[in-house]
Amino acid sequence: MNQFVLKQGSSEELRFFPHILELGIVKNSSIRLNAFPKISSDGIKIFSVIEGKFEWWLGGGQYSLFPNDVALILPQQEFGSSNGVLEIGCFSWMHLNTRLKKDDGISMGSWSGLSENETHAISKILLANNSPILSKFNEGARILKLIQQELFNQELGYHARVNHLIDELFILIIRQLTKQSNPGRDFPKTFMNLEQALRQNLSHQWTVEEMAALVGLGTTLFNEKVKSYSGFSPINYLINIRISEAIKLLKRPDISLTDIALDTGFYSSQHFSTTFKKLTGYTPSEFRKNHLSKNK
Amino acid sequence: MKCIITIELGTNAVRVFAFDLDGNIIGSLKGYYPTFHTQPDYSEQDPDQVFLTMLYVLKNLLNDTIYPKKYKVACICFSSSMHSVLAIDKHGNPLGYAITWSDNRAKKEAQLLKTSSAGKAVYKATGTPLHPMSPMMKIAWIKNNDKDRFKQTSKILSLKSYVIQQLTGEYMIDYSIASATGLLNIHKIKWEPDALKFAGINAHMLPDLVPVFTSAGKLKKAYQTSLGLSADTKIIVGSSDGCMAILGDGVKGEGMATITIEDSGAVRVMGNKVLQDDKQRFFNYLLTEDCYISGGPTNNGGIIFEWFTRQFGDFKNPFDIDHSMQELINDALKVPAGSDGLIFLPYLLGERAPIWNANARGIYFGLNIKHEKTHFVRATIEGILYEIYSIGKTLEEHRSIKSLSINGSFGSMPFCTQMLADIYNKPVRLRQNFHSVGFGSFLLSAIEMGIYKSLDEAVKTVVLPDQYLPDKQNHKEYMKYFKIFERLSVKLAPEFEEIANLQ
Repeated sequence: MNQFVLKQGSSEELRFFPHILELGIVKNSSIRLNAFPKISSDGIKIFSVIEGKFEWWLGGGQYSLFPNDVALILPQQEFGSSNGVLEIGCFSWMHLNTRLKKDDGISMGSWSGLSENETHAISKILLANNSPILSKFNEGARILKLIQQELFNQELGYHARVNHLIDELFILIIRQLTKQSNPGRDFPKTFMNLEQALRQNLSHQWTVEEMAALVGLGTTLFNEKVKSYSGFSPINYLINIRISEAIKLLKRPDISLTDIALDTGFYSSQHFSTTFKKLTGYTPSEFRKNHLSKNK
Repeated sequence: MKCIITIELGTNAVRVFAFDLDGNIIGSLKGYYPTFHTQPDYSEQDPDQVFLTMLYVLKNLLNDTIYPKKYKVACICFSSSMHSVLAIDKHGNPLGYAITWSDNRAKKEAQLLKTSSAGKAVYKATGTPLHPMSPMMKIAWIKNNDKDRFKQTSKILSLKSYVIQQLTGEYMIDYSIASATGLLNIHKIKWEPDALKFAGINAHMLPDLVPVFTSAGKLKKAYQTSLGLSADTKIIVGSSDGCMAILGDGVKGEGMATITIEDSGAVRVMGNKVLQDDKQRFFNYLLTEDCYISGGPTNNGGIIFEWFTRQFGDFKNPFDIDHSMQELINDALKVPAGSDGLIFLPYLLGERAPIWNANARGIYFGLNIKHEKTHFVRATIEGILYEIYSIGKTLEEHRSIKSLSINGSFGSMPFCTQMLADIYNKPVRLRQNFHSVGFGSFLLSAIEMGIYKSLDEAVKTVVLPDQYLPDKQNHKEYMKYFKIFERLSVKLAPEFEEIANLQ
């Protein structure tokens, strides 16, 4: 495997792929000082170690990476070697021009075949993820190599295939991440983590797909597991949390019903009102009135 | 047709059953609610979420099963876990979350009373072990450590009292739950002044003390409408899950004991006398004025085998722990009784009865080069059940036990049931897939409705058809190792303390 680097703007190979900023392989045979300083930049970077051992600083922590380990660097995350040293070894990497905003999540661009919902779920998981290293993730190196071959050989259909491969890389990374954080052994713990994620972002319009992805299960199995463990479907369990939180907010006279509805994830105060009444027998305003008159 | 609904507010979930008047199950549903551990030793539940989950599940059961089958609900009977504490202000609003039975924050308070001269008298009067689980200790903790909350507190409820109050407006606590607060004099059935003093509260801060059969008043109008229940639906305060389980198994009178093993476990007997133990190893809870449920609880039940499975099981399907556990049990079957001399002390969560040592920790003892993974599996299960046996054995110092009944998901697995029969050397009865707590609540309701004349008549109707007979040879084998198990559990106390302090 030879060293190379393709750069957007100067490498002809990337002409049809404006979203790929860089793609390359580094083969380093002697320790180089000040060759790998900590920097942060826009876009997502994926580094896959092929040979050797690297000590890298990433997102506020120090990690040791071995062959087949992959580092995932999100936009504006600081990444590099703490002392600037580039160790002996070999790695490949890709730098993508995808934007990641706190509010809207990732915007992939028109090249991606992922649906809007899928992209949204992926960005949620990436943002919530706090272990940026995928260990023993052979797929990373494999796909980066395939992308390189496609770009160099330019066979019929390479344009589409490169973009497919990038999508595939993201999909496999996400699946690996959720598997890493949910080894599939402890459902009570996993369910508790899910509950925390839901509560932290209760105003979000959660879909079952998003919830399932957080837990690292397909929706069918996810539905089944949640139902047998909690007795509720995922959406009904979520409604349960929403109403429990709404009850607390209703006891405070300073928040409007509309605000409570939106804060707890109902799409309108009408929706809030009917759901609340169905469950508790009271409309939110009746509940509040009862409560406030009791307090006089 | 009339039916009876039972509602069990358990540790992690509410379980609702519907019975016809002959005691057949018409339908059941459960709903999970989370336990929050915001700090080590803390276990809390959101009372509103518990209430809401109960409401949601009840409503679904009524609409999906009960009403389509044309049943009319005659009465609803409650049971719940013991030892929960919820402080409310003068408007009835919860002050924070409810503190559940497994919360250990009141360690200091428990230690203080246990080592004081007053401790012995308080245990004697209340029958509740002086342990952080006891509501008396938890209230004392609030008084000492959360002064703001304590100052605003107008009443102290149990979770069940809160749920019933939400439904009917009445503040009530039944004898069973009250007798598990550490505040009730179980001989006089009155709040115990010394215990109240230690907790720092007055009797009027507690709900009305009532027998388990008491009607808790009418459902509020809104709930009558939303649930589709009529105004004359009887709401019975009911008892605790522990008392209901023994009632549901039909265990009353001499020579009978019941073993419950879910995540945690307990061995219980029922009788008309309090079990006075000088070493304060047992609880004594009230079912009725002259009916005491006594026994000892363990922290380390099925949850320990689940832990083992998560570490060493082969998870072919994600989250399919039942399958992984079954595979391990198949492994355990290949190893002879006694695990070829590998002994496991299951104290991963510290231990309550009979050693009452929060610092106790787990051990595999006697390991040699011939032991394989399968030995660990079997030894783990044997260790959990030796612990259950050691509780039974201490109970036998006071009561003779001739036969046993078993309930709970771990204990009623055939492999465990047979092993318990062998270790105890006594016949063991159970009914597969039987819900003792729900059935106990049914019996209680049926007595109140006049279907049975008395408790005695009701328990006589319980039939547990499956009988496991002990294997004498296995029993002999187990006893050789149990002797060592028992000695290790007390001998290692200094080392337990030292290692616990390091952890």
